Formats: sequence, structure tokens, C-alpha cells
Amino acid sequence: MSAIIEAKGIGKVYPGGVVANNGVDLSVAKGEVHAVVGENGAGKSTLMKILFGIEHPDAGELLLDGKPVHFSNPRDAIDAGIGMVFQHFSLVPSFSVYENVVLGSEPHAGIRFNRKEAIAKVAELSKRFRLNIDPLPPVRTLPVGQQQRVEILKALYRDARVLILDEPTAVLAPQEVQELFVAIRSLIEQGKTVIFIAHKLPEVLEISDTITVMRQGRTVGRVKASEVTEQSLATMMVGKEVTLRVDRAATAKAAPIVNVLNLQLTNARGTDICADLSLTVRPGEIVGLVGVEGNGQAEVLEAIAGLRPVANGDIQLGGANIMPMSVLERRGLGIAGIPEDRIAQGLATGASVAENLVATRLTDRRFVRNGLLDLKAIRTNAQQLIEQFSIRVSGPNAAVGTLSGGNMQKVVVARELSEQPRLLLVSQPTRGVDLGATQFIWKTIAGARDGGAAVLLSSADLSELLALSDRLLVFYRGRIVAAFLNRDDLTAETLGAYMLGLSEQTEDEMKAGLG
Amino acid sequence: MNELILTIFSAAFLATVIRTSTPLLLATLGGLIADLSGALNVALDGIMLIGCLAAVVASAHAPWYVGVLAGLVAGGVVGAVMAFFHLRMKADIIIVGFAISALATGGTVFGLSIATGGDKGTSINLPSKAIPAIDLSFLDAIPGIGPFLTSILSGHSFLSWVAALLVFGIWYFLYRTPWGLWLRAVGEYPSAPEAAGIQVTKVRAWSLVVSAALAGLGGAQLAMFNYIGFTANMTAGRGFIALGAVLLGARHPVGVLLAAVLFGAFDGLTTVLPGLFDWIPPELIRMIPFVVTILALVLFSIRAQRALAMRAAR
Amino acid sequence: MSMTSAGSLRPQSRWTAARREIVRALVALVIAAIVTLVVVFFTSKAPIEALTTLVTAPISKTRTIGLWIDDAAKLTMTGLAFSLVFQARQFALGVQGQLILGGTAVAFVALSPIGQTWVGLPLGIVVAILVGALLGFLPGIAKARLGANEIVSTLMLNYIAVELSNYLIRVQLVPPGSGLLTTDRFPKPSLYPVLVAGTRIDLGLIFAILSVLAVWFALYRTSWGLKLRLVGHNARFAEYAGIKPNFITVSAMTVAGAIGGLLGSMFVQGAAFGQLTTGFEGGFAFEGVLVAIVARNRPLAIPIVALFYGYLRQGAQLMNIRTDVPAEVIGVVAAIIILLVSSSFSLPGRAWLMRLAGRGGRALPAGSPLAGDGSQ
Repeated sequence: MSAIIEAKGIGKVYPGGVVANNGVDLSVAKGEVHAVVGENGAGKSTLMKILFGIEHPDAGELLLDGKPVHFSNPRDAIDAGIGMVFQHFSLVPSFSVYENVVLGSEPHAGIRFNRKEAIAKVAELSKRFRLNIDPLPPVRTLPVGQQQRVEILKALYRDARVLILDEPTAVLAPQEVQELFVAIRSLIEQGKTVIFIAHKLPEVLEISDTITVMRQGRTVGRVKASEVTEQSLATMMVGKEVTLRVDRAATAKAAPIVNVLNLQLTNARGTDICADLSLTVRPGEIVGLVGVEGNGQAEVLEAIAGLRPVANGDIQLGGANIMPMSVLERRGLGIAGIPEDRIAQGLATGASVAENLVATRLTDRRFVRNGLLDLKAIRTNAQQLIEQFSIRVSGPNAAVGTLSGGNMQKVVVARELSEQPRLLLVSQPTRGVDLGATQFIWKTIAGARDGGAAVLLSSADLSELLALSDRLLVFYRGRIVAAFLNRDDLTAETLGAYMLGLSEQTEDEMKAGLG
Repeated sequence: MNELILTIFSAAFLATVIRTSTPLLLATLGGLIADLSGALNVALDGIMLIGCLAAVVASAHAPWYVGVLAGLVAGGVVGAVMAFFHLRMKADIIIVGFAISALATGGTVFGLSIATGGDKGTSINLPSKAIPAIDLSFLDAIPGIGPFLTSILSGHSFLSWVAALLVFGIWYFLYRTPWGLWLRAVGEYPSAPEAAGIQVTKVRAWSLVVSAALAGLGGAQLAMFNYIGFTANMTAGRGFIALGAVLLGARHPVGVLLAAVLFGAFDGLTTVLPGLFDWIPPELIRMIPFVVTILALVLFSIRAQRALAMRAAR
Repeated sequence: MSMTSAGSLRPQSRWTAARREIVRALVALVIAAIVTLVVVFFTSKAPIEALTTLVTAPISKTRTIGLWIDDAAKLTMTGLAFSLVFQARQFALGVQGQLILGGTAVAFVALSPIGQTWVGLPLGIVVAILVGALLGFLPGIAKARLGANEIVSTLMLNYIAVELSNYLIRVQLVPPGSGLLTTDRFPKPSLYPVLVAGTRIDLGLIFAILSVLAVWFALYRTSWGLKLRLVGHNARFAEYAGIKPNFITVSAMTVAGAIGGLLGSMFVQGAAFGQLTTGFEGGFAFEGVLVAIVARNRPLAIPIVALFYGYLRQGAQLMNIRTDVPAEVIGVVAAIIILLVSSSFSLPGRAWLMRLAGRGGRALPAGSPLAGDGSQ
């Protein structure tokens, strides 16, 4: 099979000196499923952006069907038959499916937008490629898996021959991943080529024909999926043997310190996010909240932190009812949290590292007395934490926005864990973080647990949950539908069935997992 | 009280409302377009003022329609300047709008003094023209309501009719053409049209130019029909009320039409009330449009907050 | 973002950032000066004379120097007020209303029997501050609780304040039978003491200096100030950290309002007026926006910008009186300065020079959400 897309010696340096690509080679054969793997920061996203015309390479060349091409913008790439599905969808929430699909290439009669024709075309594409999408509803009402397929429809509508998928399985449950794979195979059958960027090695091995491995901006290998194992891939990606597990604690014996009783959370529309939810956490244990994003895990953590109003129910910490307490008061009780989105919620990127590190401690007499800041103490604190958590930064006064993703997350972790918390609420702790920092953060969380903290961990990464948790609770539509003690034979498939509401445990079955 | 109600529903008052709403409606439509594209245009008042001056100066030396055109074009040019600084130079749109407002307040007086050779207060020495009124007295012939219709609809500036047509035209543009879809997409979720290859900056630039051109046109109407000639600060905050109308009208062409007419009605009341209730101080009456705008803003904010919370909830 | 880089990631030290901002401000001033030159040349019959007046008149006499300093003090106050609300990322433009109603409230005190006593001065100041604070508070709470757009609400309040003040002057404050819309001169105990005889430099200057120091101290040495700056950077993060963003924002707008009110007192109790007239403010408050923007909301930079801009303003007014160039040219200049300073512009020559010096190339447009430079 001939190569449909080739990249030779691609280089790209961003202003500021960051070398994203430094000699990247890629060769994708026609009609194959080609995966590009590598840690965060390896340069995969940049390569894809270059392929799609969003970025321009500083060095090297791109070949399409053997002929050199240059894309000055995405429109060029689209015209050449390349379609891209981003990890973060580009869908206008209030527009319908068909409006989103045809946006930019609308069928029109004169100046009039021909909606009938658009709807018909979208429906036809959906049927042909087995995507099962109704063209009419507004996109914001669709579940994530369907939204993703709308993105695929967008590419197909523009006669894409090559589809690039950027981490498509990041937000999908195992069964939805299988649905996506069915769609991908159907695309291949009809003559398309699929390139995708991935992190999740088991999936990569399942669906791809060929795998290109990148590390630190370079291509380090190109292998056939049938000829490698997960472990050898991981080694190629990182360059050293990587152990992907963390020691788990012996079953905690102490009485539960966190009690969530009959929690009812409602959204502004009045419908329940969760009703009558109860869970407990003991000191010295990590409870993992499993579930596809949007089933209530994040909201429960917000409610415990005090960031979300509670309609009904009780939340107790160490016997004390924390419901009437403000966020600040709860922090004073020893609740700390690592938020889902560090840039949007966990940090002030325009402020300095020192200021970020002290932001949650403004009632601490060490740093603030009579409303006045003790700048020296703040600075010393920052220097200590920078060293303790190996944060790579020029100094405590550097703006946080200049740090890499992993180091930014370390600032968040350092701030929240600089003092042993009683309850730690963690959400997506290693999203967008490279393997080295991931290991460090996992160790830190486990360390907090060993120090006696009760930890609630919510993550979209099942392997992370399986690696860290002592107990696992599966969320579906705001209810806990399954609870497990973490054992070696617990698999993603088992959890997946519960995550999608396909089965539910009985009360008895849940007892062990509920602690 | 009865007198007040009779007055409000009289033909004369309704005709006044149409007349006073026209500049406001034009500016509001301009504000709507800019807002829908994601760039709030706070310089509407200043641009209107510039349109006023351009129209007056141009019509002093040329036929009336050149004056109208001058208002339109002057507005468009200012819009292009705003687009340049916001989109190319990355300045915040609010700051750019503020700068243009400052430019307009000082610059129009400056320009006026140059055009009139030293008069900085009004253009009374300039022979600027008026937009001719369109006579629809043939409506008298309609049995029954004929004379009533005539007194409401006849004698308005042709720009009033243009404004009414524009409401429909803009509605059609927004909801029946692809480019309207593009505009709304750019305003709501710019990364979607960007991924589709639509040039977001180009769409925003055009919307700013059109927005400013409409405001300039409103200025032409103000200085060539509602009043004849230019006076410093003659817009008296209409451009800012237009922003309120955009919000009150739920950012929809028909909604803003109703909002603009409502505000025009209140503006008309400021001329009617002193006659009916002479114990109300004129300052209080002049305050009414602004108070109403704040009330509308508050009410709409409450409503919008609820809608937003609903949409944001997972 | 990969940490392996050709050169190391240049740390954003405070000094380089400050230096860049100063350069940008200077370039803006230079361009504005050139524009002024061009405009004056084209519109004046005696451009050289006009320009000379513009540049030298303010320091030609003690009296004009006094005007300049007094102007700068007032510009500092309005600049400070705006900078505080801008720090909180609010575009509240209500200083005009706070100023006017603050001054009006002072008139009530000064023209009452209390105004004849020594209490008149301090009471007037206090009343002005309170009224201003209230006017700053109301749009703040509306924004915090209801999400009401503060741009529209403050601008509307300004117009309402003007009409209210006009009404009160006409009906309550003006001596009966007077045809003018001016109150009597305030009794001496209610006026600011003059610091430099023969000029307008009065207690207001002290207030301006103290306000600058107070705002600087509050912003950089107190936890309230840190909270305000954090809220300005990222309100969601502030909330997450236990800070109440609404409370901080409203308090910032209230304090800014207090400053605006105090400025009103400086106007009417100061040597410049000593009485209340309709329209005494004349749009002055909005010049503070320019000062705040050019000074990048930094309290210590505001008085410096105020001095420069105040000089320009005085020069323009003197030029207006003595030559044929209208003072409004300054409005044009002000707009240009604002536009230039708030842009991320790089002059074409500069990019070439930078490349020559071996530094990073031109800035990537950061507006697109798809830009991959890692800065978003």
C-alpha cells in the first residue's frame, strides 16, 4: 500500500524557544489505521496541527499522495481531503447537528441557506457510515459520544479522505469506545484512512495497524501493532522501564471520617443531578469515583468542597456537619482539593508562583496578620515548596502561566498538600501531565493517604483509578450503581458495564465496596 | 391620568415615537450585529455623533443624500478603525470603544470648529440640509382609518422606512442566510467556525464596520431630520441606550425593534409630560430613559442569569 | 509544553515586563505627539506659535504651574478610581456620577449652618466619600448578584446623577432669585486650605498623594489587595481558594466610588471652584480611564502618567485661549494614546531588530483558541 500522507523531518519551534517538533517523520499508508503515541509534550499535537494547517512547520516537508503540499490554513487542508476531530469539540452549542455539520460549506440557493438539503445530506452520511445521529436536535443536548460523531460527520461532509482523531477516547466509556471503533472500521472499509493520537495503549493496540512513537519532539519508532506489547511501547515512549502501579494500603480499619448522607443536588432547571446519594470515606484510604464524565462525580466533589449548593442531605467531616460552612471554613477544617481544570480553576496564571501557593492560606497567621501580608514568609514558603515538589521554575516571582502543564499541576499539588489534609478531593490529577510528573503526583497522593488523609479521587482515566484506589464507586446518572474493593482481577470491562448503566449491583453486592 | 393615556395613543404621539425611535433603532441594530458577533460595541454613541457631524458638513456642500451617505461612510470608516485595533492589534474591544467615544466627543467639536471656522457650539452657521419627509397623504383615501393612518405614517424620514426594512433584512440575514449562521457561530463559539475554515477575524471585522455604519446612519437621521444641524453632544446618550435596547431585546432583531420603540416612546414622553404635568421637574423627566434602561438591564439580567444557569448545568 | 528547548525558557522577570510596558507607553506618547504636530500644522494659521504655547505655557508662570499640579492631582484621583475597578476586571465607568453627586452632597453641608463652622470641611469630605461609595456600591452589587452589565449601569447612573445634581442645584441650593445655576461661594471654613499662595494647589494635592500610597499599600501589602488581584486574574480560582469574588469585587468598586466621591469634594471645596455649578465636571472623570490604562493600573505609575497628561491638557487649554487651536484636539490625542497603549503592537522595524539581536521572532497572534504557543 502506498503512503497517502508523509511527513519528513518536520521541525517547529514556538516563540519563547519551545521546540515542539525536531525531526519528525511520519508515513501513513492508504486505508490503514495509524496511531501516533507519545507522552504529553512529545509533540504529537503539534504534528497534527501542522498536518491540518493550523501551524506551519519551520523545517521539513509534507507529502500528500507523494506530492509536496503546504497548508496555510485549515481550509487548505480540508480542501485537500484531510479532516480533523479535536479532543475539544468545535460545536456551537445552540445550533442543531446539521447546522454544525454544514457550517462554512452550507448548501445555498442564491443567498438563501438551503436547510432541507443540508438535513438530507447529513442524514444520508450518518446512515452510510453507521454513525446513528439525528440531524435535528441542538448539539448541546447530545451525549459526548454522539457529539464526537457529529465531529466525524463534519469531516465526512467535506469529503475527507484522511481523518485525524485527537485523543478520541479520552471522554468515552469502554462500550462507547467500541462503538467508535466500529465506526472507524466502517470508515476504513469505505476507503478512508484514519490517523489518531492516543495515550491509552490497550486501545491503540486493539484498533491500529501501524504505530508511530514520538518522544521529545522526535520520531523514535514506527512499528506494526501486531509486533509490540504495551510494555515495550511504554518503554519506547519514555525511554526507561515504567512501572504503572502504586502500592496500595492495607484495608483501612478506622471509622469513616467523611459521611455523605442522602445527598440531593439539583441543577438550575430543577432536575436532579443526584438524589439520595450516600458514601463514606475512612482516613487513610483512597476512594475512586468511576464514571463517564457528567454522571455526577464532579458535582459531588464540588458540593463537598462548598462550591455547589446542596438541595438536600448532609455532609459530615469528623462528625461535624459542614453543610452551613463556606469554602474557606471547610478549608480550615482540613479539606483540600485538586481541581479538574488547573488553568481555569486551580491557578491564577497571571499571578506569581508565590502568590498562587499562598492563595488558600490567607487566614494563616504565618502569612497574614491583621490583614497585612508577610512578604518574607510568603517567599520563604514558596521557595521551600518549590524545592520539596521539584517544581521547575526560575523563582517564586515567576508568573505561573510560564510553567509547563506538569509543573503547573505540581504547583497546585504543592499548595493543596503542603499541609497534611484530613480530606483530599482530587479531580483528573494527571490530565495533560507527562509521565514523569504523573508518577510524582501519584506518589504524593498516596503519601497523603498514608499520612491519614481520606481521599476522594475522580478521574476519566480508568487505569489511574485502578492504580491508586483502595475502593471504587461507580457513578451512573447520579447514583452509585456499583461498589468494589480494588483487586487485581478488577477490569475496565467490568467497570464499563456499570458506568454505562448496563447493569447494577444489588445492595448486598455493594456492601463490601461501600465500606 | 386619562389625558396621559389619550395622549399616548394619539396619532401625533405615535408619529413622534416613530420619529424619535428611528436614530435609536438604527444604532440598536448596529449594536445587535456587533454583539452577536462577539464584540460589544460601546462606541455607538460616539460613532453616532461622528455620523451627525459628517452628515451636517457634507450636506452643507452637497445634496441631502450625500449627507446621509457621509454619515454612513463615516461610521463605516470608524468601524474599520475599531476592527483594526481590536482584531489586528489585539486591544480589548471595550477599551477601543471607549477610545473612540473619547475621540468622538472631542474630535467632533474640533471638527465642527474647523468646518464652521471657529464656532464650537453648534453648526448654525452651516447651511446643512434636511432629509425630505415622505408624504403618504394618499392614505387618506382608505375608508375609516385613512386619516388616522396618514397622521401616523406620513411625513417621516425615508430613513425611518429604511430602518423598518432593515429589521426584516437583518432578521433574514441572520436566520436565512449562511453568513448569518457564520456571524452567530462566531459570536457564540468561535472555535467552531474557525475549525470549519471560516475566518473569524474577517467576520468580526465586517460586523464592526456594519455596526458602526448603522450607528453613523442613525447619526445622519438625528442631525438631518430629528434636528437640523449639529450641536455638541447632541446624541445625549442615545448610543448607550441602544446598548440597553440590545440587551432588552434579547439580542433578536424583532426584540430590539420593540425595545427601541419602547425607549423612543419614553423619549417622546419627555416632550409630552411637561405639558400635562407641569409639576414634574424637567430634570426628572429627562432621567426617565436612563432609569428605564437600568430597570430593563436589571430585569433582563435576572432573566438571562436563569437561562444561563440552565444551559450550564450538565 | 515540552521543557526541552533550544534556548531555556526566558523567565518573565518583573523588570523586563515593566521595561516593555514603559517603552510601549513612551512610543505611544511619541506617536501621539507627532499626530498633534500634524493636526496643529494643518488646522492652525500659526502652528509654530500654537505648538510653542502647548509645550511651554504650563510652566511659564506660577499660576499655570499651579493649574498643572492641581490638574494632575485630580487626574491621579480619577485614575486611581478606575484602576481599582479595572484590577477587578470590571469596566465600571461611574466616576463621573460619583464625583458629581459627591460634590453636590458637599454643597448641602457647606451651605448649611454647619458649613460656617470648622466642622464644615471635614464633614463635607466625609459626606462626599460616603455618597461616592454608595454610587460605587450599587452597580457593583447589581453585577455581583444579578450579572447586570456594569458598563451600561454605570453609564446610565452617570446621566441620572447629572440630572439629579442639576435638579438639586436649581431647586435647593441656588440662592432664591438668582438666575444662574451656581450656588453661593462656600464659607471659608468649608474650603480647602491653599498650600501655595496664588495657585490652586490645595489640600487636594495631599489627598491625592495619600490616596496613591493608600491604594498601593492596600493592593500589594494587604490580603484584601492580594485577593483583589487574584480575583482579577482568575475569579474562578479565587472562589476555589475560598475567596469570595463577589465580595471583593463589590468592595473594590465601593472603595473606587469613595475615591470618586472624594474627588468631588476636591472639586467643589477646592481652590478651583469653592462652589457648586451645574456642569462643573465637564467630562473630566473619563480622563482617568486614559491614565489608568497607560499606567497599567499600577498605583505608583498613575501620578507619573497624571503629571504628563496633565501637562498636555494644560498646554492644550492655554493653546486654546491664546491661539486658534481648539482644546478638543486633546480628545483626539487621548484616543490615540489609549488605542496604542492597549494594543500589542510591535513596530515593523522592531521585529527586524529583535531578530538581528538573536531573540525570538514576532509574536504569534494569541487570539485564536487554536494557537499552540502554550500561552493560553
